[in-house]
Parts: sequence; structure tokens; C-alpha cells
Amino acid sequence: MTRMIKNLKDYRFYCLVFALLAMLVIYVKPQTIKPQAVYNFTFIIDITRSMNARDYQHKNEAISRLQFIKLTLRELILKLPCQSKVGLGIFTERKSTLLFQPIEVCSSYTEINSVIEAIDWRMAWAADSRIAKGISSSINQLKDGGSHVIFMTDGQEAPPINPRYKEDFSELKGDLKGMLVGVGGLNNIQIPKYNNKGKQDGFYLEDDVPHRSTFGMAPTSSVPIGQFNARNAPFGGSKVVGDQHLTRLYEPYLQDLSKDVEWLYHRLETSERFNLVLQTPHFAEQKKLLVDSRKYPAMLALLLLSLVYFPKYRYK
Amino acid sequence: MSFSALNLSDLNLLVEDTWVLPALLLILFPLFNNGVSSSVYPSTLLLPPDPLSSFLGACLKASAMIAITTLVLGLAGLYRTEQSIERIGHGAHIVVLLDRSKSMDYTYAGKAPDGSDESKSSAAKRILTAFIKQRKNDRIGVAGYSTSPLFFMPLTENKQAVLAAISATDLPALAYTNISKGLAMGLSYFQQQDSQTGSRIILLVSDGAAVIDPESEKKIRLWAKQQNIRLYWIFMRSQNDPGLYEKPENPRDDNAQSMPERYLHLFFSSLNIPYKAYQAENPKAVQEAIDDINQLENMPLHYIEEIPKQDLTGVCYGLAGFFISLLLAVKLYEAKA
Repeated sequence: MTRMIKNLKDYRFYCLVFALLAMLVIYVKPQTIKPQAVYNFTFIIDITRSMNARDYQHKNEAISRLQFIKLTLRELILKLPCQSKVGLGIFTERKSTLLFQPIEVCSSYTEINSVIEAIDWRMAWAADSRIAKGISSSINQLKDGGSHVIFMTDGQEAPPINPRYKEDFSELKGDLKGMLVGVGGLNNIQIPKYNNKGKQDGFYLEDDVPHRSTFGMAPTSSVPIGQFNARNAPFGGSKVVGDQHLTRLYEPYLQDLSKDVEWLYHRLETSERFNLVLQTPHFAEQKKLLVDSRKYPAMLALLLLSLVYFPKYRYK
Repeated sequence: MSFSALNLSDLNLLVEDTWVLPALLLILFPLFNNGVSSSVYPSTLLLPPDPLSSFLGACLKASAMIAITTLVLGLAGLYRTEQSIERIGHGAHIVVLLDRSKSMDYTYAGKAPDGSDESKSSAAKRILTAFIKQRKNDRIGVAGYSTSPLFFMPLTENKQAVLAAISATDLPALAYTNISKGLAMGLSYFQQQDSQTGSRIILLVSDGAAVIDPESEKKIRLWAKQQNIRLYWIFMRSQNDPGLYEKPENPRDDNAQSMPERYLHLFFSSLNIPYKAYQAENPKAVQEAIDDINQLENMPLHYIEEIPKQDLTGVCYGLAGFFISLLLAVKLYEAKA
């Protein structure tokens, strides 16, 4: 009995009792509900030739637009909260193709990472770059999927488009939330040319590429230019010079396109800023996650235990 | 996600939040304070040494230290990293190599799907999805090809990821059939592996073939042999297409250009690797082929089982609770002054 009374006077006894109570709380596995913004993105990456142009810097080395996109995406998937989903697709010619449907980022981090790593311009199944058509094909494929499309391109249509035949987005706009991401610098630079062994063989020259569209009907109202011939040279017969063998980010064009489909526009500069524009309420979906809260009673127990053994100043 | 540095190398233990670890300094407390209320004594010098009570005292201090350590480790989120254990069981490394050429979007009758018949690509998707769900212990990768090879998913145990790649494949198909690049892509999946732990399978699902150029032929021959590949070809034959085993009536047509399927079959047969072709003329036949492969590839073999990361915080808290109750029990028996 006296032992009990003595214990009742000892703060250490209470500390230990409460520490044990806290540990008992832990066995119940307390959980709290926490709202968490999660995201679902499908990144469609332009892999046409102009994406090989090197106008980004990484560790003091010029790297291509495609390499920069890969770096950015690899950093981004680390920053997305768990339960978010990421899908990946590539664009070339007139359409995009999905490599995989959106999957959860945390449990599939390694897999997503290796697919990003494997994306290569040589996956392109054809060589044109019809960006507006690519966007509408992406919307058509993905509009029922619930994922937001992030379309990453430099905006260079190749061969150039005939302004008469602009892609009509009126049926598609508003179907899907998305963002056009402009990739590249604003100044013209050269596009590397590769041979069939994958080795670089100089750059594209002026004579290698068409500089204007000769598709469809020629403009009829204008005064015929050069050696115009209604049958043989409806677009005019003189040699056309242009800068289509060079590449830059066609920002005004992409901004117009993004307005047509009611998407956001962002110029890719750093992965931090890219992450900020993506992780916004515009794209977020609020999920209620059960969060393990065993740490609170555990902290209390630790505190109480430290009190019991807190070093005292000893009198000699 | 968070990673950390503390690696007790052999046990592969790591913690989620390294910043909590400095709290481990708290384990020094019991060294300076035995947690027992002290009472004033004229002198302890005259007391005879008592080994038993010093031992018990040390045990109490040790218990307190263990309780503090396990609490801190629990708070820091102790876990064991993924482990791999070699087992004997049923498993294989399978690369599913899918034809993404335009014709896969048509039905077996060569028409655009109209609702009553499914397209070849969606039949392939449906049957492969069921197959993958059955193959619990396999590592599966997905590759595709059209005019150029496509990398969909690396070899992985993550079935969710594999299914996500398979389910992306019935979206509009791409262009032509460049089989040699596709095969090279499929074979490249095994090139990163240095040791062979299970059978290596390429499961080619296509509805046609193309001529393989001599240079690629040489490479494919070499790689297939080196890497010990087993090849299965599910040929989704459409109506009126020449089959794998047909010989043309006119011997002048007996060449790779006009009969690419027959020549591809001859090429595969000449590779000197285990090879089996299935000519599937309807979705049911594809299903039968898959079932057959499922049977054939159920032979026992060595494989590596990956045990995912294990959360050890529960163990930590359990130990801490045990030692705290021990301390409390002893407290109740503390001698009065």
C-alpha cells in the first residue's frame, strides 16, 4: 500500500502510465481523413524532327527539346502527390498514340520513368508534323477518359499549313481540359539531321524542306505571283525561300490554338514553373485520403518517456 | 515519396523521414538518470557492491533505451526495402509484341468494325488482358511496332502498369508493318538483363508480316540465339489472306514479297529456337492459342520473387509498448525509500 502511495507522488509513474495509454491508442490504428488534391494527366509529346533542335541548357550543355521534356517529366512525376495518375503518349504526323493509359504515380514510378527514358524521335511512324490535327486526334481519343491532356510541342507545322484549311475545333472545344505547352526558344536555330544509323549528319538545309503549303486550292483572289500558271504552278512558279529548315517556338500560333480548344498555354522553361502551373485547382480533383495518425500518440509517449529519464542535476 | 540515407546494409532497413533520426539522441537520457526517485542517503560508499542489482539496473536502463529507440524509429517510418528471393515456381519473362499497323483496326473479315464484329486489335486487347491477369509470377513487358518500333512498358511485375499499356493499344492504329524493327525492339528488352532467371518469351501478335531485310535478319538471328528466346507467333489471319503454310499455285509467287507471312514463318522456324505459330482465324482461335501458351509456360522454373517494401512501424510501436509496460510494471515494485 505504501508502495502505491509513494508511486502516486512520483510524476514518473504518471508519465509511464500515460505513455502506456498512448501506446494502447496506437494499437487501434487511428486514422484521420485528409483532403488531398490529386491529378490525372496524359502527356502527349511531340517527337517530330524539330524537337531534336538543341535550345535548352542543362548542366552547361545544350540539350534538345525532347531531352528537356524528358528531364522535366521525370522531375514532375516525383512531385505529384500519390494517387495522382499519369499517362504518356507521343505525337507525330497527324495523330497521337498512347503508350499507356494513366497509372498511379507512386506505385508505378519506375515503370513510368523507364518509358519516359525510352521515348525517342525514331518512334515516329511518319514524318509530317500536323500539330492542330494531332491535338484534335488527342481530344477525340481521350475525351472519355477523365484525364487532362498536356500537349507538349514547339508549334512548328511541317510542311507549313495552308491557312485556307484551318483545323476546326468548334465541335471539340470544351470537351476536355488541357494545356498546350510550348517547347523551345524564340530564336531560329538549326535542326539536326540524322542518317539511318542514328548518327548526326549535319543540319537540315534550306533546300531540304518545303517552305510553303502547296496543298489544296491556291489563293485565287491575289494577284498571281512569279511564273504563275493556273495548271502547272497555281501557287506561283518562282522559288520560295523561307526559314522552315530552322526552328523556333511558334508561340503566337500555339496561343491561338490553345484559345481555339479552350486550353491553357504555358511556355516550358523550368520544371519548377511547369509543376506550379500543373498543380493548380484547375486540374485538381479533391480526394479524401485516410492518413495514418499513429504518430501523435507515439510522439506523446516519447515525450513522456524522455521526461522520466530527463537528466537531473546531481548534488555531490 | 521520400528516400533516405540510413541503410543498415544487410537488413535493408530504411526510414521515410531522416530528419526525425536526431531524436535518437534521447536514448542517452537513461544513461544519466535511472528513472527512479532518489532519496537522500548519508553515504553510499559503505554499501557493499551488489552485482544483481547493478545488473537489474542495467536491464531497466536498456529497456528504457530500447523503448525510446523503437518509438523514434516508428516515428521516422522504418521500413524494409523491396527484397528479392529466388524461388521455384511458375513464371517467365514475357514481351508482348503487338502489331499496331492499320489493318489491326479491321475485323477478321477485313472491314471496319460495325458493332457485331470486334476489330482484331480489340480482340487482341481483350484476350491479352485476361492472359496477363492469370500470369501472377511473370514479368511482362509490352512493345509494339508499326513503321517504327514503340516502347510501351518495360518488363515489370507491376500488372497494373502492364494492363494500362495493353489497354492503350486499341486506340487508332498507326501505319505500316515493319516487323524487323519490332522484333529488334522486343529482343532489346532482354538485352539489359545480365542473368537469365526464367524463360524468355516473345509473344508476337500480328495480322500480317513484311519482308525482313538481310541486315536485320542477321542481327535477329544472332540475338534470338544469344538470349535464349522462345517465340510464339499468334497470326490473326483475315479472310482471303495467304496463310502460313500455304504454298502458292504459281511457283513464281513463292517469294517473300508476295507471301511475307509464309516466309516469316520459314525464317522463324530456321532460327533454331523454340518456336510455335498459331494461325488464328477468329477471336476464339486466339483464345485457344493463348490458353495453349499458358499451359506450355507453366513448367516449374527458377524465378525471383519480389517482396514489396514492408512497413515496420507497427513492429516498432509494438516493441515500444512492450518495454514501456515492462518499465511500468517494475515501477510498481519500486522499493520505498
